[in-house]
Amino acid sequence: MKIAVPRMGNLSLIIKDMVQRFDLDYLETPPFTEQTMEIGAALAPEFACLPLKAVLGTFVGALAMGADTLVTGGGHGPCRFGYYGEIQRRILEREGHDFRMVVLEPPSVSLRAFHDSIRSVIPREQVGFGTLARELYLTLSKVLLLDMLDKRALQLRGLEVVAGSVDEALADAQEIVSRAFTRKELSAARKEGDARFREVEIEWDRPHLKVGLVGEIFVVLETFFNFDIEHWLGRRNVVVERSVTISDTCDPFHRNPVFGYPEHMVARMAKPYLSHEVGGDGLLTVGSSVIFARRGFDAVVHFLPFTCMPEVIAKGVLGRVSQELEMPVLSLSIDEQTGKAGVETRLEALLDLAWSNKAKSLHARAELQAVT
Amino acid sequence: MRVGIPRAMLYHHYGEYWLQFLETVGVEAVVSEETTGNTITTGAVHADNETCLPVKVFSGHMLWLKERVDVVLVPRVVSEEYGMCACPKFMGLPDLARSLTPDMPPVLAPRLDMGDRRYLWAREWYDTARALGGSWLSSVSAVSGLLQNLYHHHKSLVDESYEKGGLRVGVAGHVYNVYDSRVSMGMLDRIRKLGATPVTIDEVQHNNALANARTLSREIFWGFESKLAGSVLHWSRTASVSGILYVTSFACGPGSMVGALLEDQLDRERSVPLMTITLDEHAAEAGLVTRLEAFVDMLKYASRAHATPSADGASGGA
Repeated sequence: MKIAVPRMGNLSLIIKDMVQRFDLDYLETPPFTEQTMEIGAALAPEFACLPLKAVLGTFVGALAMGADTLVTGGGHGPCRFGYYGEIQRRILEREGHDFRMVVLEPPSVSLRAFHDSIRSVIPREQVGFGTLARELYLTLSKVLLLDMLDKRALQLRGLEVVAGSVDEALADAQEIVSRAFTRKELSAARKEGDARFREVEIEWDRPHLKVGLVGEIFVVLETFFNFDIEHWLGRRNVVVERSVTISDTCDPFHRNPVFGYPEHMVARMAKPYLSHEVGGDGLLTVGSSVIFARRGFDAVVHFLPFTCMPEVIAKGVLGRVSQELEMPVLSLSIDEQTGKAGVETRLEALLDLAWSNKAKSLHARAELQAVT
Repeated sequence: MRVGIPRAMLYHHYGEYWLQFLETVGVEAVVSEETTGNTITTGAVHADNETCLPVKVFSGHMLWLKERVDVVLVPRVVSEEYGMCACPKFMGLPDLARSLTPDMPPVLAPRLDMGDRRYLWAREWYDTARALGGSWLSSVSAVSGLLQNLYHHHKSLVDESYEKGGLRVGVAGHVYNVYDSRVSMGMLDRIRKLGATPVTIDEVQHNNALANARTLSREIFWGFESKLAGSVLHWSRTASVSGILYVTSFACGPGSMVGALLEDQLDRERSVPLMTITLDEHAAEAGLVTRLEAFVDMLKYASRAHATPSADGASGGA
């Protein structure tokens, strides 16, 4: 059994961790390229959203390399993601591939389905229940550490003195965390990672912008589809904060440990604009945009795959958020034909707008101080 | 007080019940006019450009109501069936309506959630009735009437008997697309003119549809799409239609998944031909007519040749 899993941000690091914990036979899925995108778009239904097409393309590559078990996520609606596995299985079978598709149901569907779907990858004879629960818990802790490192890097990248020093620290810290497996090792790794970040020289009083990054998790996390916006913004003195992370999505108690605002609080903030769960990351997108606006961020960038149902609703509502809270919001919908230049031009315009807003408010404040 | 109801989206499912609810409460209900080309154009201009066609049509109806009513009733349909959910667009519809233009009339959005315990959501309808000025007695009777109607929605028996012979075409698509004659460009009438009898998924017994939907290898979790897929499978397995038209709208999320699923499933079962028709606001009649003619001609030819229907599905957008 050779397992392949879709790529998404830190997910490959997490899978590598699980592979070592449970001694799985694993094959790294090829990265997203123009070519895998083309294959995916050709096979997938026309109006399917981007993640399905993208992942399908890499699955074809993985099967060609010898994988025979494809693992993907499930769910029970209303987002289309819950049905991806089934459609991809049917398409790939039609193409004549011989494989097994394992759909990992999230615990929200039912704990039984969650357990059973995990057991179809990690059999009972190999790992007992206690070990499984403990190791999964430790994996989750590790995901949390990795995402916290990411969050830190996003905040500091715009303020670094030596270009690239934050990225070096991030890579070192990720390496340190990847080597940790037990509880003790993880807590030591966290301290070591923190120490590594403290070595980076930061210019704290540099004029900068604060930009929130919200949207659908796949396009926000996967650098191939968001054109590596995190580094692009970091080079332009922008402090970035991201509302979606893998550990927030996996957190069983909906506390959003990385973002810092639990789900009920996000829902409360979103309520005047979107007062019901719409599946996917829709409510989080609206709620976190409101939170960013209240915290005085200069702009919010919203990424969505073309025709993504929850995010399209969020996009329709975000116009009102932007108007009422006076914060520019840029919605960028990504599909297989989106060009880098178009996205960057729009982002540049957004940053210019944010800088001029900031200058205006600073000017107004200075005038106020002169009068009093 | 004049309460508006847009003649779009789930009005075509539950409209009667909502009107009855408002009548019992004792307020005047205004239903927007039938969809026209103008409705679609204004809706498409004001709504978000990525939303699906039905939401654009809905926006057009909302804008028509804007000047004419004091408040609009847009129920938030979260699930239509126990254990299923609705399309996310239905869940966010009242919020989309509110942010359409800055000067929208107030939108009342009581929750309709057949999958949830009713005491959790019926209360919202009661509050709505009271907010509209109903007495507690009329409000209670309005809500109980609504619940009665909703729980018996699928219970009514449908006559599935049909005479043998003649060409029958199954039209599988969202009720708000198929029954809106402007959106579907009079598809049902056109099929009749071509000498075939259109059958819609309303004419399939609910239990039969669900039983067939359960045979799929992975359960469809959208309530309406589950019935749609089940109906298509029921038609093809009982051989009650000669061909199936799958009608979806541009950027329909569940439609894109279920369409691919049905094409594959019917192909595996070597069943009747399936043609996909995609509707959008730019759709031209000539394109639709040509496709329908070709499809019906193909079915006629197949039945005349007494060949077993093959399963090569043609697809394309209109």
